[in-house]
Amino acid sequence: MLGAYTEGGASMEQLTNLVISDRELASISTLLMKLMNDTHATSAMLIDKSGQVVAVQGTGSRRNATTLGALLAGVFSSSREVAKLLDEKDFRNIFQQGVQENIYTSMVEEQWLLVIIFDRLTHIGLVKVLSKKASEELVRVLERVRNDSSRARSSVINLQFRSSVEDTIDLLFRD
Amino acid sequence: MALINIATHEIHCKIVYYGIGYCGKTTNLQHVFKSINPNARGEMLSIATETERTLFFDFLPLDLGSIHGFRTRFHLYTVPGQILYERTRLAVLNGADGIVFVTDSQAEKFEENVQSISELEINMRRIGKDMSTFPCVIQWNKRDMPNALPVSVLERYLNRRRVPSYEAIASDGKGVFATLRAISKSVMAQL
Repeated sequence: MLGAYTEGGASMEQLTNLVISDRELASISTLLMKLMNDTHATSAMLIDKSGQVVAVQGTGSRRNATTLGALLAGVFSSSREVAKLLDEKDFRNIFQQGVQENIYTSMVEEQWLLVIIFDRLTHIGLVKVLSKKASEELVRVLERVRNDSSRARSSVINLQFRSSVEDTIDLLFRD
Repeated sequence: MALINIATHEIHCKIVYYGIGYCGKTTNLQHVFKSINPNARGEMLSIATETERTLFFDFLPLDLGSIHGFRTRFHLYTVPGQILYERTRLAVLNGADGIVFVTDSQAEKFEENVQSISELEINMRRIGKDMSTFPCVIQWNKRDMPNALPVSVLERYLNRRRVPSYEAIASDGKGVFATLRAISKSVMAQL
């Protein structure tokens, strides 16, 4: 199964940044934890389509979360292009089946990817149904995040912060 | 798109190195990987063919440490340069916060460079980004090659938007960090 962004979504102007507040991260983490428990999955992750990890639950994937995020987002984005070549508009999931572990990835609107990693003890059907349910709740969280992003951003990114970042870049990225 | 996680005090930004095959994108990342303080970088991941050409992307996570309580991270990606991987380049571009366009300065690569920058503009429009305001820098790489075109010529034909540009010999590490500094600051200025 291949996932795909819709053409309409792809042509929309993307946001410059997305700001996750304490409250929203708590909601996301609770959702992921519940999903993980209900499906008996080994881990659950929410990643941005750019590959950045928003939240992760479960011990198995924490170590490699950054790399996993980059790879899974790349695979998903690539599958979108495959879908376009097939004139397919609404493949929104990927199922990767291994001997021990499986990964089910589904889109949350055009922004996030919900990733469930589970073993042989869990049936894919359960993962699909409960992922869909969790995605619907995550859409509401995403909506709130989008609405709050510019206000929350100004609380972090100020002149002082920008100046310190520039100093750090000069210090770290040098020959 | 940058991700600012107030709850975990983290900021993540994505920088993509774009350009034709063999222009030195992977070489840029390899130099950063081996030269930067090991505490400031994660493992470099390369998805390459048997002949070491980039098949999907290279990935190098950098960690600037805590700045005003916020852990700031840059994720560097390269795209595969070969013409046949156009759709893969588009996939990697998704969600980028900044672009480094790496140019092979050699005269015989001129036309390919022109096509590549034109493709980049098209791809950016496809993902809904406006290149006139998007953080972008150009690197004139392979300045040590005997057939390298003068920078003034490259500037005139390949840098019509007049974005900041840097001369480099990535295989020797020259200009690699100057380029990275410029794009990193440009990305942070857009946050």
